[in-house]
This record gives sequence, structure tokens and C-alpha cells, in this order.
Amino acid sequence: MTPQLTIPYGSADWEALVPTFIVAAGALVVLLADLILPVALRRQAAIALGVLALAIAGAFALTGWHHPYSAFAGGFVNGGFTIVFEEITVVAAIFSLLMAYALGRPDQAGGAIALMLWSASGAMLMAGAANLMTIFLGLELLSLALYCLCGLSPRPASRESALKYLILSSTASALMLYGMALLFGATGSVSLAVFANPPASVALFDAGCGLFLIGLCFKLSLVPFHVWTPDVYEGAPLPVTAFMSVVTKAGTLAVLARFAYAALPASSAAAILWPLWIVAALSMIVGNAAALAQTDIKRLLAYSGVAQVGYIIVAMAGTTPQGLRYAIFYLGAYTFMNLGAFAVVALLSRERDEGSSLGAFAGLGYRQPVLAAAMTFFLLALAGLPPTVGFTGKILILASSVQSGFVWLGVLLIVGTAISAYAYFKIVRAMYARTTGAPIQRAFKPASALPWVGVAICAVATLVLGLCPLAPSDVLPLVK
Amino acid sequence: MIGALVIVPILAGLALYALPRSAENAAKWIGVVVSFAAFVVAALSRDAPDESLVWLQRPFTASFHVGFSATGYASAGYWIVLLLTLATGCGLMVARLPQMLVLLGAMTGVFVARDLLLFALFWDFMLIPVFLVLIAWSPTKSSGTAWKYFVYNLCGGLALLLATAAYGIFAGTTDAIGKVAGPLSPSLPAAAETWIFAGFALAFLIKTPVWPLHTWMPDTYADLPPPMVAVVSAVQSKAGLYGFIAIGLSLFPHAMAAVAKPMLVLGAISLLYGAFAALVQDDAKRIVAYSSLSHLGLVLLGIFSFNPYALGGAIVYIVAHGLFNAGLFITLGEIEVREDTRSLSRLGGLAARNPKLGGALTIVALAALGLPGLCGFAGEILIMTGLYQAGHHKLTVVALIPIVLAAAYMLRAFQGMMQGPEVEDVPQRPDMTPLEIFAIAPLVVAIVLLGIDPGPVAFPARAAQTVGIGPAQPPPFVVSDK
Repeated sequence: MTPQLTIPYGSADWEALVPTFIVAAGALVVLLADLILPVALRRQAAIALGVLALAIAGAFALTGWHHPYSAFAGGFVNGGFTIVFEEITVVAAIFSLLMAYALGRPDQAGGAIALMLWSASGAMLMAGAANLMTIFLGLELLSLALYCLCGLSPRPASRESALKYLILSSTASALMLYGMALLFGATGSVSLAVFANPPASVALFDAGCGLFLIGLCFKLSLVPFHVWTPDVYEGAPLPVTAFMSVVTKAGTLAVLARFAYAALPASSAAAILWPLWIVAALSMIVGNAAALAQTDIKRLLAYSGVAQVGYIIVAMAGTTPQGLRYAIFYLGAYTFMNLGAFAVVALLSRERDEGSSLGAFAGLGYRQPVLAAAMTFFLLALAGLPPTVGFTGKILILASSVQSGFVWLGVLLIVGTAISAYAYFKIVRAMYARTTGAPIQRAFKPASALPWVGVAICAVATLVLGLCPLAPSDVLPLVK
Repeated sequence: MIGALVIVPILAGLALYALPRSAENAAKWIGVVVSFAAFVVAALSRDAPDESLVWLQRPFTASFHVGFSATGYASAGYWIVLLLTLATGCGLMVARLPQMLVLLGAMTGVFVARDLLLFALFWDFMLIPVFLVLIAWSPTKSSGTAWKYFVYNLCGGLALLLATAAYGIFAGTTDAIGKVAGPLSPSLPAAAETWIFAGFALAFLIKTPVWPLHTWMPDTYADLPPPMVAVVSAVQSKAGLYGFIAIGLSLFPHAMAAVAKPMLVLGAISLLYGAFAALVQDDAKRIVAYSSLSHLGLVLLGIFSFNPYALGGAIVYIVAHGLFNAGLFITLGEIEVREDTRSLSRLGGLAARNPKLGGALTIVALAALGLPGLCGFAGEILIMTGLYQAGHHKLTVVALIPIVLAAAYMLRAFQGMMQGPEVEDVPQRPDMTPLEIFAIAPLVVAIVLLGIDPGPVAFPARAAQTVGIGPAQPPPFVVSDK
């Protein structure tokens, strides 16, 4: 008797992954187009096709909003929570593509953009991943593509960035994998849903959770696992930095939230997670304090990202359901304000000079008033000042910290914010000060007008999300 | 309409920012029209109904709720006069007009906000235009002043933010300013009330400022260009005192009572320290800056003596200080434009050549030193009376010292600038132009009017009655809505 080939999963299972597949298949289309088209057209075509694929995936993902279900025997959970993270990934990837007009050599543009799409599909997989296998698959898909992307710039720093990221990130992945093995040993399952039952071996389970969380903290670049971040961000090409600053965080936060909220036994969840709140506290203070000394915008935004993730974790402190909503809201806010700032840097970039030094901003307020105003607005948002979404997001996080009894985290958030204001406003000062000597006369010649689109959309979103009466809380679904 | 008072100046400011530099004349007229229109609208909306839009529903309800509460309107009274001043004065500062308009909108927002979260939003927002002006126009090469201003006030603003969030969680809504009157309603646990109030109080004390949190203030006032410093010192600094009255008294009555002693001490120290420091300054603007510290300490005494007269006096003095301080800084700005210096040792004998300027400075300086019949006196006498009636006898005596000192430093400044021999190498320029006179005239008129009849400002609830000393029934302890 010949063995029967059976496919154990029905079409509904695959449907949950369609958005992810659209993005991954979009990357293949980009590669094919790269083969056919003349060199001059390749880059534009790749960007257009990439944006198109992401837009379709984003639109398709929305259709599943009201039908939460679990696919692949619990390997991937579709539903509102997943979709929000998928949308954040899609939006961030689109904005990054808009800046990617100089990414890689012209004849390699298709490959670079395909890598970025695959990386995004990894993050989208992580958004819904509900067992350890899927989580690791998504994480590696995300990271492997990023290792290559980091090295795409001709600058030596770029190769350093790629190598550093490869070695350190692989180490973290290894730790995480070991943690996963321990978790499997303790519970006999890879499914997060099973973890909520009391484990067979508590010691193994705790150790596994610890290693798993360390891996996540590394990917989120939380203090003290953040040391790779500034170097990697600085060396990587600008669109890649922008991409990883949001997409890596979105994917990893989805996993972290699912793990913290849905995968831990109620009895021991608080004890297992308390180091996470300490790490968040450290990140807010150290990240912001380190940002003070930076003179490179990419490094500054790297450290700022460290602190911003700290804020997001504060919202989740105590794992209150409301807190998760505010965490997601703040991640969405961060997406727009952070990518807006990156888009401004992209407009200032020129060949072999990424416009990310503080000097590139000197006197910008008088040379390009609108661009400088936009940058000021994004920095206001990052610093949590009104009238921006950063302000609203922070008030929600503060409220959540009071509600969950973690007021000390709220106080540290305030301290961190006060420190960060100096770091962010250093850029504002560079743009508007008349007294810092003669401004450097840099011609303003953006290689492409595409980032303007990013600047405009991000600015509108930063304003409107902050003031819109449909405040986030009721729209965002909870993790299942 | 009240919402438009906030939004239109901000939008106009942003629009002016985007205008090319060649359109300077148009910008000037837009500024004049917008601020004049805002003045008219504000004056007409005395009894306009509140406007409200939903903002947040979870974790607490918050709304974009604006309206003129009794205290809000009184505090905004001088601000309205300033608008008129600005309308004429903005010719002096076209380059800073965008920031100025944004600042006006934001400050209006602080005074008309009826929701704590909205209050916090404008509270933080009003830092930004001042910071931008400080870094761009600071006469000193370093931007130390700008940072000092920004970091100090931001720390206060963030403490206020945390306190607002905590208030929202405990009370369920932040839409509370002017809603609760008296020590009855807040359902806050006592410990929470104390800590939440501490956050608000820190912000208020820094903004006012009160010793020992005042160190940002003299530098900031000295470095800001004249029209902006007039607005910052006359209006922005009152936001803190307004907060104690409109938010502290009605929402945190127990905490206010608990901290009354330390606050009275801080007020008394500010009062004395400011007056003595003002005596020895050479820079005319710093004299006014330190005198501000002293005067606002007196207001703090008035608020924390919890006496209806003292409270009425505090409100009058808040308005009065806004009027004469704006007048002082605008006059000093005009002197500086003429003489290129504001150092007392370099100035002298101005009155002979510039009699109109001398006259203007005389009136505002006399109001500042508390001459009876002008607005400063009206506030001082009410505060003193209330302070004495509340049983703070020794404090009343202490509070009298700076009033004597005020005469000394104000007259010293006046003499240093207006009288005595002229210094040879200081340029000679013509007297005030009609536009400059028109800029300061409304302030002078208001100084006199408020000095003659402070009643409507002090006790708005009983504005119809004649306010003398000792009416049959004292006005209510907390100035509330209706």
C-alpha cells in the first residue's frame, strides 16, 4: 500500500497567512521584474511593485478583522491583535520603501527591495505566531534578510554594521532557541496556549522563559541588551535603519505581548515578568541619557528607540488589558513620528553623505522652513510634547501605570522624558539657532521627492491620531 | 467662538511661518488683524456658552472643553488688553510674529481650558514658541538661557502631566476645572490627593516662579525680545497662580490647606528675596524680573491665606501685575531700541529729550510700586487686609517691607534712566511715535481703571454690588462657576 499524501490543513488555515504570502510573493515579482526591465527602470519598478504588494497585503489583512480564529492547530492566530501588528509592519515597510531610492547599487535594487519585503513578511508572521516554531521562523526570516540589508551601503561602517548585527543577533537567537528548547522540555509542547497550564518542571519553565525573554529584549534593544543598536543603526543604509527601527520592534513586541498576556500561568506570570519592568525602567533612563551625547541623528534615534520601547513596555506593566491597548497605540504613534523623522533625514541625504549628522541640520529653519517645521513636529512628538500623538500616547501610558499600580515606572518615564527633551531639542536648536556660527551652505537637492510623501503622511497622522476623538482604546482588539 | 480664539492665532502663526520673507508687510497686517479680531471676540464672549468635544473615553474621559469660567475670564482680562497692545506693537517684531501668535493661542488655551488634560496640553505647548525665540534671538552667544527655561518648565510640565493622568484615573474624568466648587466633592483618596496635588504644585511654582525655583526667570526675561517678554512675564507666568486658584482651590482643597504653611513661607521668601535682589541690579530688565518674583510672592500669600479678601486681592493683583509688568517691559524695550543699552549706569536724563517715554514709564512704575489709585495698590491692600484678617499678623508686617523696597527700586530705576546727566556716547533718538503710544495707551487706561474699581475683577460673582472693605457677607471662599 502506498503511503497517502495528506495535507492536514484546510484552506481556512492558509487564508490566515495570505497577507504574509502576498508580501513574500511580491518580493519574487520584484526579482522577476528586475530580470526583465532595463537597469534605468529597475529601481522605480521595484519600489512601485513593493509598495503595491504591501498595500494589497494591508488591505487584505483588514478583511479578517471581525473573524478571529486560530490556524495551523494554534500555530498562527488571526484576529485584531495580529492585524494591527501586520498593518504597522506594512505601513513602516511602505515608508521605508519610499526612502529606498538610493538603496544598493542600481543593478541590485530589485534584490535589496525583495529582501526588505521578505523581512517584512517575517515580521508579519511573528505578528500572529502563537507557537515557538512559528515565532522562530518569523524571527529568522526577519533577521536574515536584515543582515544582508545592513551591509548594502558602500561605506565601511555598513559592513561593520552587518557583521555586528549578524554575530550579536545570532547569539541572541541561539539563547532564545535554547530557551525554547527548555520550554518544550518543561511543558511538552511548543504551543503558547499550553504554557498557561502549570508546567511539569517549574525550574525548567522559568529558565526557559528567562532565556526566551532575553532573546526578545535583545531584538527590542532594551537595556542592557542594547549595545549593538547605535552602531548597527549608524552603519546600515538609511532606509534599512528606518525599516528595522519599526518593523523589528513591531514583530518582537507582538511576540512579547502574546507571551506576556496569553502564555504564562496566572500564578507565576507576575514573578516571571518583573525583570521585564526593571529592564523597561533601565531602558527609559539609559536610552535617553545616552541619546544626549549623540551628534549623529541615526545614533540618536537608535537610543531614542531604546527608550521608546521602554515606554511601550511600561504600558504593559502589570499586564492589564487596557495597558496592552495603550502599548499598541504608542507603537503605532512611534511608527509615524519616528519614520517621519527618518523621512526628513532622507530628504537631506546626498550621495555618500546621509544627512544624518547634526551639521546637516544647521540653519535648516531658514533654508527649508517647511521641512524644518516638520522635523520639529516629529521631534516634539518623540519628546511627548503636544499637540502630537506622542503626547496623547504618553498620557495613556502614564494613566496605565497609575492604574496598574506601577506608578514608579510612570515617574521614571517622566524623568526619562525630561532627559530626552534635551537630546531631541538639540536638533531643533541646530535648525533654528542663528548664533552657532555661519550655517553650512548645503544645497538642498533631494535625490527623489518620494520622502516628501512620507513626511506629509506622517505629519498628518502624528497630528490627527493625537487629537482624534475616536481615541484608540476602543478600536484596538485584545490579544486572544 | 472660544475655541476659535485658541485655534485661529495658532493657525495664523503657522501660516505666517510658511510665508516667504518678501511678504513681510502682509504678515504684519495679518498679525494685526488676527490679534485685534481675537481681542474683539474675547471681549464679546464674556457670557458665551462652553464648547466641548469628546477626546478620550478610556481610561478616563477627557474632552476639548473650553469656556470662560469666572476666574478664567478675570485672569484673561489683562491678556485681552495685551492683545490690543500686540495688535499695534507687532510692527516692532515681524520676524517673531509667528511664534508670538502661536504663543497667544496656546496661552489662551491654558486660561480657557476646562479640562485638566487640555490644560496640560496647552501648558506644555506654550513652552515651544518661547524656546524657539530664545534660541534664535538670544543676544548671548550660548543658548544656555533657552535650555534653562525649557528644562525647568518642562520638568514642571511633565510632573503636571503625570498628576493629570493620575487624577483622571482616580476621578474618572479630567473634565473638572470649574465643575466642582468648594471642599465637598472630590472623591480622591487623601494620599492620592496629596501626591497628585504635589505634581500640579511643582508645575505652578516653577512657572510663577517662586523661590527657589526661580533661577530660570531673570535670564529668560533679560534675553527675550521686548514684546515677547511682556507677554511671558505678564501672562505666561500667571498661569501658575491661575492654576492654584482655578485648579488647586476647587479640586485639591485638603492638600492646599495642608501645604499652606510651607507655601506662605516660600511666598514670603520670594517676596523679600526678589525685592532685595531688585535693589542692586544694573540691568533695568533684571530689576523688573526680580520685582516680579517679589510681587508674585505676595500673590502666593494672598492665595494661601484662604481669606476671601486676600483671594480677591490676589486675582486683582494677578491682573494688575500683568498690566504694569507688560507696560514696564514694553517701555524698557522702547528705551533699549533708542539707547542700545538698558544698563542703569549707562543711561540717564532721558526724560528731558523723551518726555512721552518718561511719562509712560512714570505711570507704569508708579503702578508697580503700589501708588494708591492705581491697580497695584488695589491688589496689595486687599491682600494685606485679608492676610491680617486670616490671622497672619506677623506675615502681614513682613509683607509690608517689600512694598517700601518696591518704591526704592522702582524710583532708582526711574532716576537711573530718566533723570540725572546724560551720558555722552549714548545715541540720541526721537521720542515715542504715535504707534508706540497707541501700543501702551490701553495698558495705562486699564491700570487706572482697575485701580479705581477693582471690584468686578476681585469678586466677579458679586460684580453688581459695590465692593467696599467689609461687606455684610464676605464673598464665597472659592470663586466658582455659578
